[in-house]
Amino acid sequence: MASTDKHGDTEYRTSSSTPAPAGVDYFKFDVILRFVLFAASLVAVVVIVTGNQTEVILVPQPVPWPAKFRYTPAFVYFVAALSVTGLYSIITTLASLFASNKPALKTKLLLYFILWDALILGIIASATGTAGGVAYLGLKGNSHVVGWNKICHVYDKFCRHVGASIAVALFGSIVTVLLIWLSAYSIHSRVPK
Amino acid sequence: MEGVESKEREVMVAKPVAVGVSDLLLRLLAFTVTLVAAIVIAVDKQTKVVPIQLSDSLPPLDVPLTAKWHQMSAIVYFLVTNAIACTYAVLSLLLALVNRGKSKGLWTLIAVLDAFMVALLFSGNGAAAAVGVLGYKGNSHVNWNKVCNVFGKFCDQMAASIGVSLIGSLAFLLLVIIPGVRLHRRN
Repeated sequence: MASTDKHGDTEYRTSSSTPAPAGVDYFKFDVILRFVLFAASLVAVVVIVTGNQTEVILVPQPVPWPAKFRYTPAFVYFVAALSVTGLYSIITTLASLFASNKPALKTKLLLYFILWDALILGIIASATGTAGGVAYLGLKGNSHVVGWNKICHVYDKFCRHVGASIAVALFGSIVTVLLIWLSAYSIHSRVPK
Repeated sequence: MEGVESKEREVMVAKPVAVGVSDLLLRLLAFTVTLVAAIVIAVDKQTKVVPIQLSDSLPPLDVPLTAKWHQMSAIVYFLVTNAIACTYAVLSLLLALVNRGKSKGLWTLIAVLDAFMVALLFSGNGAAAAVGVLGYKGNSHVNWNKVCNVFGKFCDQMAASIGVSLIGSLAFLLLVIIPGVRLHRRN
């Protein structure tokens, strides 16, 4: 029984050295995707924050009525979530760059990446959905609820900014899903056969 | 001797794609929870007679108003994502039971779709929660009045459905994380 175990161990050890280089190529894509995620989060936050617009509303009295992102809790959550994602992505981009020629560190990082990437996916996807729901209400209004009228025919610049920001955040969520697939594939390719 | 060695090698090849009991339990949990969330919001209906003042001279008109899920696009999206997640959970549960680590391509497909389902379910929850907060608090800047003081039961049931669907999202999140951790331990 001992001899078969030893033989099995040597089989295990010799085959474990071959799959290790399989994950190397994908680290370049990892760094690139993380930087793209950082860029997307930054763009989304900047575009929605600079989208303030003031229009003069005639009813009941002619007053200038502003539209800002911080008037809606959904957009405030959107900005907060995307800021967290931007911070996370710049930290992991640097970590990924730092570990690009240290194979032992790379394997350890992959575990943390898949865990935190999944959490950040939840955050950025929920932020996209939240802002998207409210933005759709602003675009089309809701006839069933008394008084929820559309606002985008008045605040066109604000709506364009919000729409563009949500589209970029959607792109960011797709990038995060790709990052998870990449980490899972890298872990899977490193398992000794 | 030869037979035992080859059997050990076979066990080591099958291990990386082995499906643990925790995976199956999580899929079952995700299926039940998303099903409950979808049903709770689909049967959510409340009718109330609301006096609407058309003008100052006429007496207020008593109009029966109904609150139902199909009136708001965000709630429709929430229901659709829960239905998709529920169907996917039951299909992947059956596939995982039938294919106990034999086909690697199928396992990869399930892992890929698990991550996609996390995003879909979380976005549905976010949309429904945003509309729910709007219903509870209204928005004075856009003159969108709150409705939950009138349709209290509808709003409470919707809140319960969103909470339950969040548990389903967490189950899918664990389904992404746990196999990754398990594979990493095999290194």
